[in-house]
Amino acid sequence: MWDMIANLGLGLSVALTLKNVALCFVGCLIGTLVGVLPGVGPVATIAILLPVTLSLDPTGALIMLAGIYYGAQYGGSTTAILVNIPGEATAVVTALDGHAMAKNGQAGLALGLAAIGSFIAGTIATVVIAALGVPMTRMGLLFGPAEYFSLMVMGLVLAVVLSRGSILKAVAMIVVGILLSCIGADMETGRERLTLGLHMLHDGIEFVVLAMGIFGFGEIFKNLADPEARDVVKAKIGRLWPTMRELRENLAPMLRGTALGSILGVLPGNGAILGPFASYAVEKRLSKTPEKFGTGMPAAVAGPESANNAGAQTSFIPLLTLGLPPNAVMALMVGAMMIQGIVPGPQVIERNPELFWGLVASMWIGNLMLVIINLPLIGLWVKLLQVPYRLLFPAIVAFCCIGLFSISNDPAQIVMAVIFGLIGYALWKLDFELAPLALGFVLGRLLEEKLRQALIISDGNPLTFVTSPLSASLLVVAVVALAIAVSPKAQKSREDVFKDA
Amino acid sequence: MTGGEERHAMPRSPWLGRERLAGLVLLGFGVLTLAAGARLPFFTSGGVGSGLMPRSLSVIVIGLGLLQLWLARANPGPSTGAWSLGRAIPVAAGAILFALTIRGFDIGGFEVPELGLALAAPLTIIVAGMADKDARLGELLIFAVVLSACCIGIFRYALGLSIPVAPWLIGY
Repeated sequence: MWDMIANLGLGLSVALTLKNVALCFVGCLIGTLVGVLPGVGPVATIAILLPVTLSLDPTGALIMLAGIYYGAQYGGSTTAILVNIPGEATAVVTALDGHAMAKNGQAGLALGLAAIGSFIAGTIATVVIAALGVPMTRMGLLFGPAEYFSLMVMGLVLAVVLSRGSILKAVAMIVVGILLSCIGADMETGRERLTLGLHMLHDGIEFVVLAMGIFGFGEIFKNLADPEARDVVKAKIGRLWPTMRELRENLAPMLRGTALGSILGVLPGNGAILGPFASYAVEKRLSKTPEKFGTGMPAAVAGPESANNAGAQTSFIPLLTLGLPPNAVMALMVGAMMIQGIVPGPQVIERNPELFWGLVASMWIGNLMLVIINLPLIGLWVKLLQVPYRLLFPAIVAFCCIGLFSISNDPAQIVMAVIFGLIGYALWKLDFELAPLALGFVLGRLLEEKLRQALIISDGNPLTFVTSPLSASLLVVAVVALAIAVSPKAQKSREDVFKDA
Repeated sequence: MTGGEERHAMPRSPWLGRERLAGLVLLGFGVLTLAAGARLPFFTSGGVGSGLMPRSLSVIVIGLGLLQLWLARANPGPSTGAWSLGRAIPVAAGAILFALTIRGFDIGGFEVPELGLALAAPLTIIVAGMADKDARLGELLIFAVVLSACCIGIFRYALGLSIPVAPWLIGY
């Protein structure tokens, strides 16, 4: 306990330097901006800014990038409430009752509850990360290659279970993602693999290129083909701060949302996205007036909003303690750490305590900033929403091109990203989800590396994965989860979680 | 992640149904990667060879593709709707134009000049911007100039990226 407080104190002393506060502020501001603007998400933004972080120190860089991530969650809900367009996937649920509240003239209340819920969730999630940091790292240090391999397999299976739609398609996307990560020179022998003789593919595919292709260009192709109607609320925004009574009524949904979001956020893949859906379903079930959900229930905003913010933060846990990125944003964080020469994994907390604790503390500061800066700035965000998409997307194209070129001053990366954009668009048309693809790609190289290491250690004996009790139990969890997921009953309840919303 | 209403229409041919197409795409991709990795060794004396992962995963993708086709045998799924590729082409063209002109490029004897950010960015913005059905050239022109100036200021000067600005004018 005292250790944790001392650690957080260290973190605050790092995060509260003028430079880091400024970077946190910039991150939160950019994050809110991209969260508000439809069609550009945190993945594309962080990818664009990755080359920029080279000029910063590692702690500052991560503080800023993290700010973009949770700032975007926050901005996404603003758009969801005011325009009925979820700026981010996690704000889909908020749009339902949030926008209905806005139409009833309670936009301010919805925004205020979302902000306060997010702040409470952010505070609790910060404590959760601080508390889990040390024990999780200790566990991570016990992991050998075989255990890491099994852990990743379990993670990928859980990602499938948590994804929406067809399980077969989600599995296929993960496998395709891993296959794409195999392209390029073999990590041990340097032998070219699956390059089809293309020079462009010789060094393999950079995750940033894949991410900007499918989440940057792909989104644009999708939005142009299928324009969304924007319905900016004309009614007055009204008062932002809830009354004590309203706050008291919504405190329980906020806390429940935080708990759900924190737990699901740690899980790989769709975890952070599932949080708000689960919270909505729970609130609806617990409500005395479930039939009113969808017409502007404050609890249906407060709960899911808390859940999405908590999930955004706890998804840092696997990355910071085990070095395993659970989603695309965290994979970009790995990229940011690697350019700075820091290998993510359990050793980070020992070797770079100021980085670990500084980042954790900055999250709390960032959440405070979001409440303080954003509520007064609502008017500005509303104005920004009026920027027409016909001007927005050419700007995104230009930003993506600059970002892609800057990765390695290589124009070929832009061409590759355009191709991935088209592939992403086609996959979306065929109802494939892209998140599992990105996750498979992210974990692919690590998965193969650990598989090879484990088999070298065991002299090629594949039983090594089941003779280690830790590895065996992880695999059992994976098998059981998959078996439950494909059972007809679970299929139905999986659909229910999303259907409620 | 679902598209507009038109996606629920019946496909012209059952092979164009969304679910069947999905199966075909998986099958095709699996066959492609299997062929591309056909010569990679499964095992070597030092342990796992470079072919183990790619080849076994390709087989899994092929299997999933076949399973998907089998599952979609009765219900091939709705039509995938209009693909509106006409909208995607200007965006792709704009980005590729940027790739070609930012540092110059030599395509078989024809040399694309090195335009730098000062010209490549507005060019990209204008070409890509034409993708929208409500595009207005005049508005785009002004927007392109202003935004490009901002980009140069932010990325080159404020953030210090080593991206060429206008080599034909100022030498970098």
